[in-house]
Amino acid sequence: MRSSGINQVRPRNKYELMIDLRRFGEPRLRGKYLFLSRIKSGRLRDLVDYLHWRLGGYYSTSIGVDERPLDGYFHVYHVFVLEEYGVYVLVDLIADPGHPVVESITPVVPAANWAEREIMDFIGVKFRGHPEPHRLILPDDWPENVYPLRKDYPYDDKLPTSDKIAKLVRESSPATWEPEAPGDHTVIPVGPYHPALHEPEYFELFVEGEKIVDARYKGFMVHRGIEKIAESRLSYNQVSFIAERICGICGFTHSTAYCQAVEEAAGIDVPERAEYIRSILLEIERIHSHFLWMGVAFHLLGYDTGFMIMWRLRESIMDLAEELTGSRKMYGANIVGGIRDKWDIRDDKAALIKRMLDEIREEYLKYIPKIISLEEIKKRTRGVGVLSRSDARKYSVLGPHARASGIKTDVRKYRPYAAYKYVNVEIPVLDDGDIYARMIVRHEEILASIDLIHRLLDNIPKTPLHADTSYIPERRHGIGCTEAPRGEDLHFVITGRDNKLYRWRPRAPTYNNLLSVPAMLRGEYLADAPIIIASIDPCFSCTDHVVVVDLRSGRRRPLRTRGVVGGR
Amino acid sequence: MNRIKVLLENLRRGVVTEQYPFKPIRVPERLRGKPVIDPDKCAGCGACVNACPPNALTMRDDKHSSMRFIVLFIGRCIYCGKCEEACPFGAIRLTREFELAAENREDLYQVVGLRLYHCPLCGEPFTTVRLIKRVVEALPEEQRAAATLCPRCRESVTAHYRSYARR
Ligand code: SF4
Ligand code: SF4
Repeated sequence: MRSSGINQVRPRNKYELMIDLRRFGEPRLRGKYLFLSRIKSGRLRDLVDYLHWRLGGYYSTSIGVDERPLDGYFHVYHVFVLEEYGVYVLVDLIADPGHPVVESITPVVPAANWAEREIMDFIGVKFRGHPEPHRLILPDDWPENVYPLRKDYPYDDKLPTSDKIAKLVRESSPATWEPEAPGDHTVIPVGPYHPALHEPEYFELFVEGEKIVDARYKGFMVHRGIEKIAESRLSYNQVSFIAERICGICGFTHSTAYCQAVEEAAGIDVPERAEYIRSILLEIERIHSHFLWMGVAFHLLGYDTGFMIMWRLRESIMDLAEELTGSRKMYGANIVGGIRDKWDIRDDKAALIKRMLDEIREEYLKYIPKIISLEEIKKRTRGVGVLSRSDARKYSVLGPHARASGIKTDVRKYRPYAAYKYVNVEIPVLDDGDIYARMIVRHEEILASIDLIHRLLDNIPKTPLHADTSYIPERRHGIGCTEAPRGEDLHFVITGRDNKLYRWRPRAPTYNNLLSVPAMLRGEYLADAPIIIASIDPCFSCTDHVVVVDLRSGRRRPLRTRGVVGGR
Repeated sequence: MNRIKVLLENLRRGVVTEQYPFKPIRVPERLRGKPVIDPDKCAGCGACVNACPPNALTMRDDKHSSMRFIVLFIGRCIYCGKCEEACPFGAIRLTREFELAAENREDLYQVVGLRLYHCPLCGEPFTTVRLIKRVVEALPEEQRAAATLCPRCRESVTAHYRSYARR
């Protein structure tokens, strides 16, 4: 029945998609970006439902921007990735500065829960109909109505002293919340230090005997406010260094995503040689990260021999990185427009790298296939911490975590960047959704990466290393995506004047992946909690890329509000 | 069975730990370690200060002693090498030194002091003596005089020349 018109027909390409989206608002196509503004009233949730659940795209993240100095409004951009159409749909909502409220999309896409709350904390735009409209990142004693990412908030403002806080709190009496324990279960706190990886995070597990009935996560204890520093103080080329320091494990992928975002925004073409070198370093980083994860996983499974072996191998891959870049982990190679001169990979280096890689591969294959077929490893990981495909979609999980739940996704393959445009990338996908599947996916990725580096090294073209970046136009939007070891890494930028960014927001994959942990914990044994949490390879410093403490989450339930919201 | 194989493999491998710090460790030739300023080469131009992302390098002019100080604080350094890239005189270099633990905070500083150069017309200090010497030496004869003036005085003087030339 085609009588009901164009709405029933699936658009075939981005142009048809653009026309199709006219039902919801005003679309504007600029290269890979499909901006959708002036959303018709009452149509936002239908639109989101359409993009996320029907068109085969997925919700990636949301960004709040204080654009009052530019056009007088606050903007909220919801980013949807539609790989099939080769576009990012940016749903652009504007909020009036006097009464900044927009409609929440979390009821339709639970994955948006945190991103919307982050915007409430930092920009002060409220989301109507959000199921948990509480603070996510700012500490409980942060004064109301102070929004650090607004443009009129100075970056060098000293954190309020305790006296000042006490006064501000007295004046504004922010509400404090306490989570309600579900029934009469025992609460087991895990954290804030090292339940899984040695970073601050805090899980509250509600148990009945040995079974976990519910779980909550609190995080953002290592938020460092780097977005503000970057927007206020750093030049384009300085930001790539702070971007690299978002994370101690997947740093280079962050700086690459950042550089790509600016390059996209400014229309800079990166020379091929630089693209190859970026890809080579990215793969080295992936191998390093997966080695590290495997070691941690074996350790948590009580198999410390495996842990020692993996971390010994990890030393070798860091030696390799050090030979290539002068540092074990902070490669420091990226600048906007390419790669720095000293980081060139000449033939003698290439030969050395290949030799070292071969050794690592041989050593790895001596052990790992034996270890992952051990009965005790299988018993503890098969059928444990299962995330179904539909749950994986619900939380927009990414990377190996998604691929282990049957979702075919990989930025390298479906939105190729750097040198992945020129080579074929194999991506393992498994349907089981358990910890074992996550382990196998990473195992295969390690081997694929080693192979990929060899192919890249053989084909490095002879071009310059960086492009001219003297002109970067103002007020351009750019998105840079990379496939970090843990999944899609997304950096959003708006260019500004004086060689500075107007807005920069990095979103690490753990931000999405963590939301799925409570779902995986429910119904499992307490003893398995550490390995379940660790199985997503959580990286808390990435996720907490921006300032401080205390969130209640885990599950959509009304939280009891204690205290008064006074004054206004 | 596999368990035994893994153990045998490990036994065959023997000791893998390094003797460091009792024996020196191999350091790759490209290692980016502690930056060091060569006080004989540095002209106090401040290019490295502008380039340094985490403000590990700072610059301070002290009018009383008529000195400019380039201050490097290793505690903030991220070993990115931007300073080395920026320095026009090859004065700041990343060494391969990586054992940087210190007992005193002061040990983490390097300070280079350079004499300030004052504008012969208005007397304001605007650069260092060493830098002005290098600039003047690099310039053709006829441009030298103007280069010794501070930017403001230079502007008014050249404006005067220009209006003179036009007549
Ligand atoms: S290496 Fe980088 S951080 Fe260290 S002083 Fe030089 S520019 Fe600054
Ligand atoms: S080290 Fe080099 S760049 Fe820095 S002030 Fe001295 S001369 Fe200038």
